[in-house]
Amino acid sequence: MEKYSVIGKSVPKIDSRAKVTGQAKYTGDLKFPNMLIGKILTSPHAHARILNIDTSEAEKLPGVKAVITHKDVPSLKYGISPARWDENIFCIDKVRFVGDKVAAVAALDEETVYKALKLIKVEYEVLPAVFDPIEALAEGAPQIHDEYRRNINTEIHQNFGNVEEAFAKAHLVRTDKFIGQRTYQCPIEPHSAISMWEGGKLTVYCSTQSPHYFQHYIAREFGLPMGDVRVIKTYVGGGFGGKLEPTGLEFAGAVLARITGRPVKMFYDRHDMFAHNRGRHRQIMEITTGVDKDGKILGMHANFIMDGGAYTSLGIASAYYAGAMLTLTYDFENYKFDMIRAYTNLPACGAQRGHGAPQPRYAFECHLDNVATQLGIDPLELRLRNARQPNTVTPNEFKVNSCEMTACLEKAREISDWEKKKGQLPKGKGIGVAVGSFVSGAGYPIYRTDLPHSAAIIKVHPDGSAATLYVGATDIGQGSDTVLCQMAAEAMGYTYENMKIISADTETTPHDFGAYASRQTLMSGAAVKQAGEDVKNQLLEMAGVMMDKNPGNLDCREGVIFSKLEPEKTLPFTAVAREYFVKNGPLVGRGSYTPPKLGGTFKGAPVGTSPAYSFAAQISEVQVDEETGEINVNHVWDVHDCGMVINPALLHAQVHGALYMGMGESIWEEVQFDAKGKILNPNMSDYRMPTALDMPVITSALVESCEPAGPWGVKEVGEGATIPTMGCYANAIYDAMGVRVNSLPLSYEKVWRALKEKREKEKGGGKKKK
Amino acid sequence: MHLPDFNYYQPETLQEACEILGRYGAKAKVLAGGTDLLPKMKQDVLAPEALVSLKMVSGMSDIEKVPGRGVVIGAKTSPNDLVNSSVLHENFMSVSEAAHSMANNQVRNMGTIAGNIVNAIPSADLPPILIALSATVTLVGPVGSRTLVLEDFITGVSRTAIAPDEIMEEVVIPEQSTTGSAYFKFGLRHSGALAVVGVAAAVTMQGSLVRDVRIVLGAVAPTPMRAKKAEEILRGKNVTDDLIAEAGKSAAVECKPISDIRASEEYRRDMVRVFTKRALRKAIYLEQSES
Ligand SMILES: Cc1cc2nc3c(=O)[nH]c(=O)nc-3n(C[C@H](O)[C@H](O)[C@H](O)COP(=O)(O)OP(=O)(O)OC[C@H]3O[C@@H](n4cnc5c(N)ncnc54)[C@H](O)[C@@H]3O)c2cc1C
Repeated sequence: MEKYSVIGKSVPKIDSRAKVTGQAKYTGDLKFPNMLIGKILTSPHAHARILNIDTSEAEKLPGVKAVITHKDVPSLKYGISPARWDENIFCIDKVRFVGDKVAAVAALDEETVYKALKLIKVEYEVLPAVFDPIEALAEGAPQIHDEYRRNINTEIHQNFGNVEEAFAKAHLVRTDKFIGQRTYQCPIEPHSAISMWEGGKLTVYCSTQSPHYFQHYIAREFGLPMGDVRVIKTYVGGGFGGKLEPTGLEFAGAVLARITGRPVKMFYDRHDMFAHNRGRHRQIMEITTGVDKDGKILGMHANFIMDGGAYTSLGIASAYYAGAMLTLTYDFENYKFDMIRAYTNLPACGAQRGHGAPQPRYAFECHLDNVATQLGIDPLELRLRNARQPNTVTPNEFKVNSCEMTACLEKAREISDWEKKKGQLPKGKGIGVAVGSFVSGAGYPIYRTDLPHSAAIIKVHPDGSAATLYVGATDIGQGSDTVLCQMAAEAMGYTYENMKIISADTETTPHDFGAYASRQTLMSGAAVKQAGEDVKNQLLEMAGVMMDKNPGNLDCREGVIFSKLEPEKTLPFTAVAREYFVKNGPLVGRGSYTPPKLGGTFKGAPVGTSPAYSFAAQISEVQVDEETGEINVNHVWDVHDCGMVINPALLHAQVHGALYMGMGESIWEEVQFDAKGKILNPNMSDYRMPTALDMPVITSALVESCEPAGPWGVKEVGEGATIPTMGCYANAIYDAMGVRVNSLPLSYEKVWRALKEKREKEKGGGKKKK
Repeated sequence: MHLPDFNYYQPETLQEACEILGRYGAKAKVLAGGTDLLPKMKQDVLAPEALVSLKMVSGMSDIEKVPGRGVVIGAKTSPNDLVNSSVLHENFMSVSEAAHSMANNQVRNMGTIAGNIVNAIPSADLPPILIALSATVTLVGPVGSRTLVLEDFITGVSRTAIAPDEIMEEVVIPEQSTTGSAYFKFGLRHSGALAVVGVAAAVTMQGSLVRDVRIVLGAVAPTPMRAKKAEEILRGKNVTDDLIAEAGKSAAVECKPISDIRASEEYRRDMVRVFTKRALRKAIYLEQSES
């Protein structure tokens, strides 16, 4: 008999029928009687003092029901990160980027809303602005927030072991510098929120990655008890980190709904989304590594600056993550991390798939290839020599249980035919390798609380023909509803086809922190497993009575209860469940999950802690057009250590999706601004995400692995595959053409320029020799 | 991102359409597929008082070979019609290929050849190859029709020789001695990207002798432009790789690109050099492979 009957199988996604038939309703599809439409007016200036706001003309427009500014809303500052609450619902004294929120309108229809926005007159005194983090940190730069001198949003200085001593002993110490770019998540579904009041209770339907954080911050802003705020997630068309924190839509919508006494739907259009942002930070990264003559890493120093934009968002965590995650893949003892996150007059950056980790990883993986080249060691071999082993602790005190870094590298080497290809492909073609690692859920929540991280309830229907799983876990398209139902059915001894799920509604489902930090399969999964086992135990107890057997000798699988000693003695799940209901009332299982205490005690120690870490190796083969710099990625091999796999189809889809995003950030995507801080490409035409025609052949492979800290041995996969990609492509381009582009994206023009410079240098060098 | 108010007309004949256009003058716009016009209106770039749709006007959607005239393409023909036309496959495959390089499948179904031409943005993909093939356009007005050479029709960025009350009815690729033609679009991803440069070439070869050649550059000047000096380098000569390379270099000097968010002037010039070479090679190769 197979070990498991429901998990480990590619069951159909639970919402696929609703989605492909269009039955699935997203927030923007919902309509309520008397509902108004609302929109936010934003600043046209990057930095300006607000002198006066005149809303009278807008209020007179027929169809307009309310116009609000900072005077009409709480002035309490908020933010997702309690370390720095620095945002207001609407700007009070000044605006800090093009797109900062100034006022909002609710009207009978969308057309009137747009007309009314144009009628609001805001008088500004334009102030000098700063768009570059290094300029922002300079003495005399425009001050963006009075409280944060020299525009320092956060500063990190961590020192583990003794890096100086390690460098002194090293055979080679090398420094390289790299620059990342601003990218935006671009979920296909624009943000929207519908707010309505019944008496003192506020209900918000929204496109969110975390109903809990929305509820927490909405309640805090309006001084309401949590119980009077109900946040309901609808179907969500992707988030990737950009829908984790409440936006102005929920706050402004709640106030407009209270003033008008009607439901108010607020939404962003594509341009608004780019302005609201919370996408990837642009980082300036200097990395120094000391190695011995065999390439063993003795110590590493990461010295980074990041452009945070005008507000904190999740940026403090991003700043810590940027350095914290660099210690996971390779085993070294001495590590120093310096980081400054600077405020600039640009849209605020936050967490994007992989959080702060992908750009630093790009820098580190390119840098290591440079080290390997300098030492004359094969880059994959260099990585194998340094690969982290299971049951080890990183210099920044992360405990790593399962870790198949070595196996991932070896398998990637084998399936890509690395040894035959590296350095031996025809000119224009190249192959590169990079690795990555990511948390399976954050060890600590975003604000301080001792609440469990996840909880689950399973209610078996009276006749046993169905069971409903209630979880706060948040399906934003990645498929958590599906895998959690698989896990529930497995734990109960039930069938997936009979599972129903109600998720991510703060009133009907138990608490969960939501979809971020790749946490739900492990953390929500652990709670669900416990709830399922709770159901099973109660059921077997009942069956024991009905069958006159010791419940300890009974088990249940796929809806059939049987005796482990006499397997032909069985009872259907349904009959026992019904009997249970008749005798005892509802059959309910409960579970919750709190991670163990993790990490060290130094400042920032919690960021990057996790019960378990995934590991991945990626190899890519690219083709570069020597004359144009155009890059074609032909094939990518991703080998993952992500523990036990609950649903292989969904897992590989996550790898494809993460790789897709990593690939866009590698070669095409960049949010561009003009000299006044206006976004130049807030659309899907000039913000170039890859298309189907750009995608390579993808081989997504796995290595055997089982994680003791995860239910059934699971770990993360959702973000891990984004992390190695940029470095992997940069290394493949280097192998193809012998040029290194030290900034992202690795655009055609940059590659063309690097090739041109190389040719000119070679020519110049040739002349000198003569 | 919201459409401003406008009056909407759906006439059934060209005559009726011209009359409505005449009433509004410059304040009305012809609406074909709307893939250029509606985004501009949503972005507040244009706010016409009236849109005159060609949807209910019959005809103007065929691609036919007409003896004595050449290949006649109706104004409402979509890029995908051009992609899939057997008449074009047999006579001017390069036009099908240029249409296929446009936008994405949805837009290629919605858009029209006339819209692409009349919209007159420098990066449009159809004008360079059509100009290389000496195409003409026929305009219908309230008092009859006139025919212009496409090369003279586009006069500037978003500017053409069309009068406010005129409608483009057809595009004609005349009968010609051209033996091979090619269009290369260079965009920054493999689909759905506007041209950073576009290069079209049409050649009349006699063995290895270049009897005639037309090279048209897109996205590197306010209008599609002929690279006349580059043409001169080749015309009447026996083709060699060196001559093709020289023509590429000349085109790179002749063009007048700007720097924008997609590419720098310097990069565009060099891409003109590269793709002029490639377009010439392809146009000539096609001829050679047939002989
Ligand atoms: C996502 C996207 C991607 C695109 N990518 C490309 C690309 O790669 N390459 C490219 O070249 N273009 C591209 N375009 C632009 C556009 O799709 C094409 O130019 C298309 O051919 C326009 O045709 P239309 O019928 O939609 O024009 P419309 O928008 O209907 O009209 C455009 C202009 O032409 C006028 N007009 C239309 N028909 C006539 C007529 N018969 N007589 C007189 N005037 C007329 C209109 O008044 C208007 O001024 C893209 C557009 C989008 C939205």
